[in-house]
Amino acid sequence: MIDSLYGAADWSAITPLVIVAVTALVVLLMDLLLGKRVGRYGAIILGSLGLILAGVVAAGGYGLHQTLFGGAFVLDGFTVLFEEVVIIGALGSLVLFGAIGREDRVAGATALLLWSATGAMLLAGAGTLLTIFLGIELLSLALYCLCGLAPRATAREAALKYLLLSSTASGFLLYGMALLFGATGSVTLSAFAAPMLAASPLFWAGIAFFFVGIAFKLSLVPFHTWAPDVFQGAPLPVTAFMSVVTKAGVLAVLARVAYSALPPQAASALLLPLWVVAGISMVVGNVGMLAQTDLKRLIGYSGVAQVGYILVALAGTTAFGLRAAIYYLFAYTLMNLGAFAVAAVLSGDGEEGTQLAGYRGLGHRRPLLAAAMTFFLLALAGLPPTAGFLGKILILSAGVASGYLWLDALLIIGTAISLYGYAKVIGAMYARDEHRSPTTPRPVVPLAWASIALCALALLLLTFHPFASSVLP
Amino acid sequence: MAVLVLVLLPAVAGALLFLLPRDDVRASKTIGALVALATIVLAVFTRHQQFSATWLTRPFVSNLHFGATSISWWIVLLLGIATFGAILATNVSRTRSFIALLLFLEASMLGLFLARDLLLFALCWDLMLIPVFLGLIHWGSHPATAWRYFIYNFAGGLLLLLATAAFGLSVGTTDVIGGTGVALVGPWVPWIFAGFAIAFLVKTPVWPLHTWMPLTYADTPAPMISVVAGVQSKAGLYGFITIGMVFLPEMMRAYAGLFITLGIISLLYGAVASLVQTDAKRVVAYSSLSHLGLILVAIFSFNPIALVGALIYIVAHGLFSAALFLGLGYVEEREETRSLVRLGGLGAANPRLTGALCIAVLAALGLPGLAGFAGELLMLIGIFAAGFAWAAILGLVAVVLASAYFLRLFQGMMNGPVRPDLPMRRDLTWIEALAVVPLLLALLVLGVNPHPLTTFNTAPYLQSSGGGR
Repeated sequence: MIDSLYGAADWSAITPLVIVAVTALVVLLMDLLLGKRVGRYGAIILGSLGLILAGVVAAGGYGLHQTLFGGAFVLDGFTVLFEEVVIIGALGSLVLFGAIGREDRVAGATALLLWSATGAMLLAGAGTLLTIFLGIELLSLALYCLCGLAPRATAREAALKYLLLSSTASGFLLYGMALLFGATGSVTLSAFAAPMLAASPLFWAGIAFFFVGIAFKLSLVPFHTWAPDVFQGAPLPVTAFMSVVTKAGVLAVLARVAYSALPPQAASALLLPLWVVAGISMVVGNVGMLAQTDLKRLIGYSGVAQVGYILVALAGTTAFGLRAAIYYLFAYTLMNLGAFAVAAVLSGDGEEGTQLAGYRGLGHRRPLLAAAMTFFLLALAGLPPTAGFLGKILILSAGVASGYLWLDALLIIGTAISLYGYAKVIGAMYARDEHRSPTTPRPVVPLAWASIALCALALLLLTFHPFASSVLP
Repeated sequence: MAVLVLVLLPAVAGALLFLLPRDDVRASKTIGALVALATIVLAVFTRHQQFSATWLTRPFVSNLHFGATSISWWIVLLLGIATFGAILATNVSRTRSFIALLLFLEASMLGLFLARDLLLFALCWDLMLIPVFLGLIHWGSHPATAWRYFIYNFAGGLLLLLATAAFGLSVGTTDVIGGTGVALVGPWVPWIFAGFAIAFLVKTPVWPLHTWMPLTYADTPAPMISVVAGVQSKAGLYGFITIGMVFLPEMMRAYAGLFITLGIISLLYGAVASLVQTDAKRVVAYSSLSHLGLILVAIFSFNPIALVGALIYIVAHGLFSAALFLGLGYVEEREETRSLVRLGGLGAANPRLTGALCIAVLAALGLPGLAGFAGELLMLIGIFAAGFAWAAILGLVAVVLASAYFLRLFQGMMNGPVRPDLPMRRDLTWIEALAVVPLLLALLVLGVNPHPLTTFNTAPYLQSSGGGR
């Protein structure tokens, strides 16, 4: 029955998603059947293998351009690149469960994380409003559970806060979708590019509500206040996941709508509020970061600004801007994952582990770890020799080329402010410290160290290897 | 390829230093000094060599392109000598880390002055801030200074980055440094110029963007500040010469009056401020503001004689300010103060230190026979010949003031009665002396024979206006 509706091409296009979703089931089954015998690493390794397999399979779709499932799923270079970001992000977060977290919960957490990633991958290729909603809800529902995983009050608070605010955002999104359907009579994104829609007030209202929902999910100002609280309360691997994968998935939707699903003559007016919000986010996020004393909150605020940077690249809706945005998204993913991996090595999942006070004198206690953290923080601030630097120049170029100089100016102001926030941590790590706490023995955490090494290496390679500007579509 | 080795050698050596035992000060210093020597040798042999590899193809072409230009080659040599001296003069806690930072600093600045690509230049521009920041954070006396230095210069670097992006988009490539100049045209030009100019002015620094400088120069450990004041401060001037004069000549000429005025204000303000400082390092810091202001005036006078003078003075200033800061560092180590109120009479017990400082001070105040004189004279002649007589006269006033504040510095520390309340530790060891001797020798050689520095072709920098691209 289904076979007659959809052909082999349809199913092969979503193979990576299926692999990830099925891996989650296998992880659960394995936990049920083998239980304690495989330990936490069993679930993590199996989950990682599934993600890597999905990544390899997804890469095979690069270069294709297909519209599948009656327009519900689009497979092109854009989809593949966003899927890869999601997979890298999920992989980098998943391995952190090896450094922290309790044995008995890891299998369940792994499964939830994989399903959440499936949702984000669906968003990467979403071609209709329905697929978008399906992806966002799959992504979010699993995350609500993941946020509350840690047995402490702040985690429950984070989960509840995330549930309430994210549901509100979904409400806006859904309402916008309803209006859009009313205006166009279609749920397919490509139908929204019809020129006559530019005159439809219903369409404008629908897009407005839709963007409010998206801005909520991306934690753009003024809808950003949930992010630091939720980031702080959630377990560290989940925070890492949220800071990377959620943003990537929702950005994919936003980019697809901005680039191909708006009536051309009204596109710049429709999108302008979004760029204004991005501009404000760059300043507010970076200013908010300065006062933080917790690494997870700091990353929460920094994420508000970093999404703003990516939107600057998209502002002109130029082909090069999209490249710059994807490049920066890859870099952002790697630097965030690296920073979280350092934090994971440093701490069990206690509150104190991510307190910035705990980083004081780290340069003397654990020089290698401090050097790695310095590298990732420099990347976040956009300093060389990291991909953060090259990403900044690509984004600035995109802004200059498309004439959004005021966004470039705000980006520069925001970045200059952000330096203090990031370098404050570096300064604390290398400050002269009279009293030295003794080095305590730490459990060996090979996966987190591997993640640190790979992220740092990739950030260096992305900076100096010419492929950065030639592979992107 | 040898050029790439030259750039990467100090960075790799700096990283490998951490494999040495933590407490082996002698090994760290020996290896560091040998690496610095090796960079000098490599720089001599790679004068006309280049290295290039593809980097970006979109949105503009950028290459990882290294190679000395006729101007930057001298600054690279200066950098090698200054780093060599700084490493030998190092006497701080955690020597291994400090020397590694000095080597990272050298690598980033080698990258900057050897870069033939504007984007690579901008990359190294930001990169060279990091070692100094870390040095200030750990070894500096006030952490706040580190922030001021880092944020001030990073903001300048961001403007440089934006200007580089606009430059690349309007020209199509950033692989332009040291090439034949084709002046930029188009609506972006004033903005590109503004971005470059502010970044260069902050770095140099020039009044009113200098406020980070006196604190940084006073708080940074002497060996590191000798490299920063000697060489890093030349990055902005080098940028004005190789980027501004070649690609933005019309803007440079149009705003020459403004920049010459800023230069003159720096010149006089620095000189007067120098006269009243009681912190020895701050005296030299403000003198730097004054001297670099004069170089800025020389550059903006668009005169071949002034340009030659500027290059001589860039090298000379690097040599004597590095020597001065090393000397002041020695004084501070010995007497545990650098306050001119407390210091005095050191000459009696420290003949070698006094001699070294004396040569450096005489070079700084422009005594004939040392390199500073040739540069100052040519700059003043050039500025006068270019029609800025008033600037030349005010420059002359500053030169007179320089004698006053440098003699006040030197006599206050070295001459006069011996102060019984000072520790008066022993004179320079031979290694400490070896750190400053190359700098002083170079001052003497270039002072007697500045000819090699005058032979570069000034034509590309003095074109009246470009053809447009």
